[in-house]
Amino acid sequence: MELYASKLIEEYLRTRKIPSTACSGCGLGMNHKVVIQAFKELGLKTADVIWGTSIGCAGRQTFATFKGDGFAGTHGRAYAIARGLRIALPPEKKIVLSVGDGDAFGIGLMHLIHAARVNADITVIVHDNLGYQSTGGQFGFTTPMGVKTDSSPYGMFEHNLMSEGMDVMHILKGAGATFLARHVVLADGPRAVESVKKAILNRGFSLVHMPHPCVTNFAMKHLGSRVPVEIFRWFKERTAPLGQEKPNTIWATGIWHDASNSRAEFSEVVWGATEKIRRTGTL
Amino acid sequence: MKRFLETGNFAIAEGAILAGCRFFAGYPITPATELAESMSLRLPQVGGVYLQAEDECAAMHLCIGASLGGMKAMTATSGPGFILYADPYGWALGCEMPLVVLNSGRVGPVSGITGAPGQGEFYNTRYPTQVGNFESVVLAPNSAQEAMGMVVEAFYLSERLRMPVTVLADQLITDGWEDISIPETEAEMKEMGLRVWPRKYNPGPDFYPATDALDIPPVQMGKNTGGLCSDWTPTEQGYDIEEVEDHHKHAYRLIFKVRNNRQLFNHHYEKKYMDDDPDLVVVSYGTPSRVVNTAVGRARSQGMKVGSLRLINLWPFPEEHFTRKTKYLAVELNWDGQLVREIQRTVPKDSEVHFLGICGDLPTNQDLLETFDRILKDQPLQRKGWEWEAW
Repeated sequence: MELYASKLIEEYLRTRKIPSTACSGCGLGMNHKVVIQAFKELGLKTADVIWGTSIGCAGRQTFATFKGDGFAGTHGRAYAIARGLRIALPPEKKIVLSVGDGDAFGIGLMHLIHAARVNADITVIVHDNLGYQSTGGQFGFTTPMGVKTDSSPYGMFEHNLMSEGMDVMHILKGAGATFLARHVVLADGPRAVESVKKAILNRGFSLVHMPHPCVTNFAMKHLGSRVPVEIFRWFKERTAPLGQEKPNTIWATGIWHDASNSRAEFSEVVWGATEKIRRTGTL
Repeated sequence: MKRFLETGNFAIAEGAILAGCRFFAGYPITPATELAESMSLRLPQVGGVYLQAEDECAAMHLCIGASLGGMKAMTATSGPGFILYADPYGWALGCEMPLVVLNSGRVGPVSGITGAPGQGEFYNTRYPTQVGNFESVVLAPNSAQEAMGMVVEAFYLSERLRMPVTVLADQLITDGWEDISIPETEAEMKEMGLRVWPRKYNPGPDFYPATDALDIPPVQMGKNTGGLCSDWTPTEQGYDIEEVEDHHKHAYRLIFKVRNNRQLFNHHYEKKYMDDDPDLVVVSYGTPSRVVNTAVGRARSQGMKVGSLRLINLWPFPEEHFTRKTKYLAVELNWDGQLVREIQRTVPKDSEVHFLGICGDLPTNQDLLETFDRILKDQPLQRKGWEWEAW
């Protein structure tokens, strides 16, 4: 890993946006660094990447941080915008979406599934802060059971995407995603970088789920403390590598599904068919 | 010039291709489905992409993505799908992305009657999205031939104003079969008054000043300009600065780049028998205007001093036509009266404004002539059951 964040910042980020507007203690910065580190290790230049975001902490805090081209879509629809953009852009341009859990697994789940279905060459980084933290801390669709939030004051009791044996990765795998990984950066940062690199190199739909602690809202409400180490410890205790899960494990980390470059990519398929019809009048 | 006996949807597809549209995303909905079908057949033949989306919201977002990447894009729907455009429509307005939207009106509310014409979208196309602080551009053709030209014009306006433009048709225009002439050369296009504006991109800076200037090209991704595009306030300092003053400058541009550039629109209106200050001005748009024009002609031959004003540029609303104090009658394909409200708002004090609303079908000449006669004789409009209503 690049030890000096300042070097990465100089190369890839708009310095006027760093430090970002994220709360102090927020885990988003670690995730952000992992993604930028992956760019660096792959030798990508700012011109090679289109940085897309949406709404919420992950969207607002990372939009316009990247030096290259960037867009912020409407809540949950960045996956549809990115698919349109994929058609219009040359294949060598990478589209990286930096989004939150509400965006990807709540309002945008249908668009996400359809992006996976067509295997669009997009890398989705889900910065999962376990709920809707930028609106004050309401539960989301990955909030663990029993967790108290502003809208689950008695504890989270509804079935959720990350509870009772459910895992959002199963849905995405079934939908046709070709690379899926999960990492909790404070537990396995270097492996997270490797996964993001693989995700970017996969010419198809990739998603890296990176749960991270929210100190201000999540920790305050559930643990009653804004001391970062408390929530960091809580997170670490519930994280284990895939295959080594303990009874209290919520986040099994590692590469979930790697079918990189096994299935024809969306824009390749669409442009291939279009070109053939244009030339021969038939498929 | 090629001539066809075809539907309005066919004509619109050809118009879009003439305008340089090479991306269409849609979701099947009567009566705009055949446009999607035409596009799926025709676009690949000219090297363009047709995508079917998971819903209308995604369809317009796909178009936004393609437009953001530099392609001219279009989508089409009817009322129930148009409301799902609210989300992306707002984004395209705020981010100033050129796009063309076709809305083919049917009978509302909700799904209503799918295969019959309606004009319940007059205000919906003016306020297609959240919150306000913008001006909309809406064009309303009254035939398949005109719809083709109007789509070309919509692309032209959307590029120069860098914003989404709506073509408001109705079921009779999109589903109806008519004689259609499609130009084949640039000279023929020019002859028909069709204008095309190429896509350009903004090399920077990544914000726009508070100006009503035309032809500031949109941001484009993939050109390595460091271009930023978001629904937050663009400012010189970067995005996401929640300052009212900065946002006012942004909104000023969204409103006044349209209002202050109305000279750009070349399809304003159609006037018939309007030169002698008629005692009754019949106002309509879209297909009912075809019946109105006929009825007004007949009324004239019967000695009634009636004129027809057909609006083509619906929004921004052409207030300049309503400066004379006289009697006005709005003929619309809805029962609640929408255009009539805008006329009431605009006319001089104490002008008489009447409403004739029929939905799912066109008014007959008989209906119209009776109504003209009563209004001119200052008789109250008779209520005929649910059919019509004195305003």
